[in-house]
Amino acid sequence: MKKFIVIITLATLGFYLGQTFYELGFGDARFEHGVKDIYLEKTVSELHVANTITSIIVSFRGFDTLGEVTVLFLAATALGGILYKRRHHVGDRSVLFSASRIVRSGSKLLFPAVILLGVYVFVHGHLSPGGGFQGGTIVATGFLLMLLAYENFKVSHHVLSYIESFAGIFFVLFGLAGFYNGGTFLENFMPVGTMNNLFSGGVIPIIYILVGFKVAAELTGLIYTVLHEKD
Amino acid sequence: MSLLFEIIGGALILIGSIFLLLGGLGILRMPDVYNRLQAGTKATTLGGMSLILGVGFLKVEDDWTWMVKALIIVIFIAFSNPISSHALARAMYKRKRYPLIKNDDGNMDAYKEVSENIKKEDKK
Amino acid sequence: MTYLILIFFLLLLMLGAAIYAIVQKDLLYAVIATGVISLVLTALFYLLQAPDVALTEAAIGVALTTIIFIITIRNTVRHEDDYNKKDDLKSAVE
Repeated sequence: MKKFIVIITLATLGFYLGQTFYELGFGDARFEHGVKDIYLEKTVSELHVANTITSIIVSFRGFDTLGEVTVLFLAATALGGILYKRRHHVGDRSVLFSASRIVRSGSKLLFPAVILLGVYVFVHGHLSPGGGFQGGTIVATGFLLMLLAYENFKVSHHVLSYIESFAGIFFVLFGLAGFYNGGTFLENFMPVGTMNNLFSGGVIPIIYILVGFKVAAELTGLIYTVLHEKD
Repeated sequence: MSLLFEIIGGALILIGSIFLLLGGLGILRMPDVYNRLQAGTKATTLGGMSLILGVGFLKVEDDWTWMVKALIIVIFIAFSNPISSHALARAMYKRKRYPLIKNDDGNMDAYKEVSENIKKEDKK
Repeated sequence: MTYLILIFFLLLLMLGAAIYAIVQKDLLYAVIATGVISLVLTALFYLLQAPDVALTEAAIGVALTTIIFIITIRNTVRHEDDYNKKDDLKSAVE
């Protein structure tokens, strides 16, 4: 009975939400002239970046990205704080049975490929779909594969926290360097190069690589904490 | 030449779709976990491989890199799909869900010899 | 027209999976249904020409969230009604 009340409430909410969106009228004349034209024009003319979404996320709305990364960091920290237990030797976890030899060697073969894919996604963030968040998540998934296959595969929390902290610090420093060069926060100050090259877009690929490292370290630490929690 | 590539690609995509359909049917119709894994994994491995190769053949005239990408994906499927199904089957076996066979009465039953063997292994 | 029908079908599939995830008592099935929602949403984002968001949804929604939920279920209880039987949780509530 409770379930149906929940479903009916959700359906009502969804109906009114849908009606609101319908009345908002996406694609109306209201949206015809807006900030999107400036983004589309400046992405090509000033930043020489092929992927407009990347330029919006990292450059024009870079401050929001900093907030998102901070939210993720806080979530990981809070989870670590809740699940923290004093253990004598970190690295033990309860498994019903260890993974077989096929799974172990297969994971060992697939692990570099998964890491390579993740790194490719965040290094080519300004050229193709994807970026720091996506690539970092893929890298974390690769570490998850190894953690599932080898029950005593160890990830050093110290190294993870150093990577995370340095990525965050350099993100803010690159943002502040925009001030130093007489602009705004996260404004581009490096040569932009030619469009569709790997070394182009000025500061954007560097920021995305830093975001990728940060997200990968955070999510790997999160998975490691959750996986080693014993009930 | 382009017509030949188109025919090969279309045929491969057709074969792939048929195998994926059969795999889905197998997952619905088979009686227990092992048979379902058999149907699902074998059919989806071959189906997915030939589907992606077919896409590579269709695009190879415009851009040969499509074929290389398709081959890489095929290799990835050939690695990951059997490993994952092996892990699933092994987990079920270790959790003591045994395969079903028809016994003398005609009913589906857990495979007796397998379960006896496992009991012997447990005693050791 | 085919495009609209496809999108409508995918939306219906998402709705069905969502309702199944709410109604289902076995939490593992509910988590898998949540993963199905994310999977369909990935296809939907790709059809609506948002490959960046589709990639994010595929990596986070399908892979990571599902796995973290499954690990959590392994560490706690699997069925929704079972949590009274768990001594730790009971003492924690009291």
